[in-house]
Amino acid sequence: MSRPIHLSRVGRAAIALALALSIIFFAASSAAQAAPVKLATASPFVVLGGSTVTNTGPSTLNGDLGVAPGTALVGFGLPATVNGATHANDGVAKQAQLDLTTAYNVAAGQPVAPANDLTGTNLGNRTLTAGAYRYTSSAQLTGPLTLDAQGDPDAQFVFEIASALTTASASAVVLINGASPCNVYWQVGSSATLGTTTAFQGNLMALTSISLNNGASVTGRVLARNGQVSLINNVLNNAGCRTGGTSGDGGSGDGTGGTGNQGRTTRNGTAIMRRGPRSDCTDGFSATVRGHLIKRVVFRMDGRRIGNRKKSPFRVFVRAAPGRHLIRAHVTFKDATRAKTLRFHYRACAAAVLEPRRGPSRLTG
Amino acid sequence: MTRIVAVAAGLLTAATGCVLATPARADSTVRASQPLVVLLHDHIARTRPTLRAPRIEAVGSLRPLTRVRTVLPVLGRAARGSWVKVRLPGRPNGHTGWIRTWQTRPAQTEWQIRVKLSTRQVVVFRDGRVARRFRAVVGTPWTPTPRGRFFVEEAIALSSGDHGGPFALATSARSEVLQEFDGGPGQIGLHGTNHLAGALGTAASHGCVRVSTAAITWLAGRIGSGVPLTIAS
Repeated sequence: MSRPIHLSRVGRAAIALALALSIIFFAASSAAQAAPVKLATASPFVVLGGSTVTNTGPSTLNGDLGVAPGTALVGFGLPATVNGATHANDGVAKQAQLDLTTAYNVAAGQPVAPANDLTGTNLGNRTLTAGAYRYTSSAQLTGPLTLDAQGDPDAQFVFEIASALTTASASAVVLINGASPCNVYWQVGSSATLGTTTAFQGNLMALTSISLNNGASVTGRVLARNGQVSLINNVLNNAGCRTGGTSGDGGSGDGTGGTGNQGRTTRNGTAIMRRGPRSDCTDGFSATVRGHLIKRVVFRMDGRRIGNRKKSPFRVFVRAAPGRHLIRAHVTFKDATRAKTLRFHYRACAAAVLEPRRGPSRLTG
Repeated sequence: MTRIVAVAAGLLTAATGCVLATPARADSTVRASQPLVVLLHDHIARTRPTLRAPRIEAVGSLRPLTRVRTVLPVLGRAARGSWVKVRLPGRPNGHTGWIRTWQTRPAQTEWQIRVKLSTRQVVVFRDGRVARRFRAVVGTPWTPTPRGRFFVEEAIALSSGDHGGPFALATSARSEVLQEFDGGPGQIGLHGTNHLAGALGTAASHGCVRVSTAAITWLAGRIGSGVPLTIAS
């Protein structure tokens, strides 16, 4: 028969403190040992939709495009460019959706330290280090969000958002000190909307739909499980993540994809050229190159140099000259991305071209 | 209502002498665009793309009638050096030469013109497709319109009292018969019919190609210097 143990008040307090400390320690160690998110066969995709994927305008997709279980991929002929394979509800897309679901659930199950519950706050104008962050309702990004890997190229950032993610116009996700867009995961419980010209980075995984407004860009992936993905004049690039993130997909990853620390071995540069509207035939217009990691743009009209831009905005004014003309922009990048030449033709409308001068009639008749 | 529209269209066609093209049709023999070169300085045309080659003639940077920049069709480029082969204005008809690209500016045109003497038609191409057809007056058998490949030197807005107004396209072609005409070098033009006799569809001119007022107005608003012109049987 065992004897009952009698503890003094001090002893009971010591045990309670030890228990509390152990719980805190356990929680902290759980957060530190967050499971890696694996996209597996979804990793080659830059855009993967559930029901449909629609595009308007000259979007550029550097990576695979797919949809499953839906079949509709709308608006990906010219002027859009898809530099990757296309999978419409085939075996590849179906398997990618299964792996996306797995990755989504892993991301949603990441332990989050209480201090990382950002519910009710704006993501904009913050600097966050590696770890998991939670929103128990919707999340809003207005302005820049800086993700600091503190020199660890394997640093993983996971955002668990219970409902919608919305970004304001011209917002940005900025990666510094070795942070890689391949290792940033956005798990969105409903739908995500990226505002006009938002420069987004990371793997955007939404349960329902994803909408990119005009001019938004993504370095990473846009992956919708059930709903549609809609694009309008966007640039999306997963070139640096095709082998998977360092933490997730078994590949080595490049680990240097942050805008603050671009290595010469990465090839994350993107560029598209657009022309501005003309208010009148006799007016000229501006041609603008936009994208990522652009170092220098040389503009030429019919072979003649008309502009050399080494910093943003990479823009040149094109005067309305008679006839048909070819505008070319030679783009070089800050990283190892191969230089590219973008081009378009334009011609001034008749009113801009010809108002014959007065002259004598000395023709044969 | 349909009949009224049809009659109105017919009357308009008859009045302008313009035969609207059938829906844009490609012509495999017409290029979609023609490279041009704009002279920013007087140039010397030579027989070969080298400074040691014999000189053909001097080409002024401005055209004589309206003082606009000279624009020449580019026919080729030298493999070495900065030279382009161009079609030259004046006699002999259709002659060519090489000029340096120094003090020039490249350009292009999507327009081309063909004159068919047998059918007395002017056919205008844009991007290699027929844009318009116009009935025309061409040269008589005694003062024929010269055949060959030419280009538009300059477009001219003529005074209301001038013969052949309201506009003229002065071409690089010269009459094979009239070495001089009305103070000019026998230059062949596409122009209107102001103060001139001769019905559209006939051979009644001194070598120029006449089209209706509506047609030349349409052309003058679109056809600029350097646009290639082919005159064929």
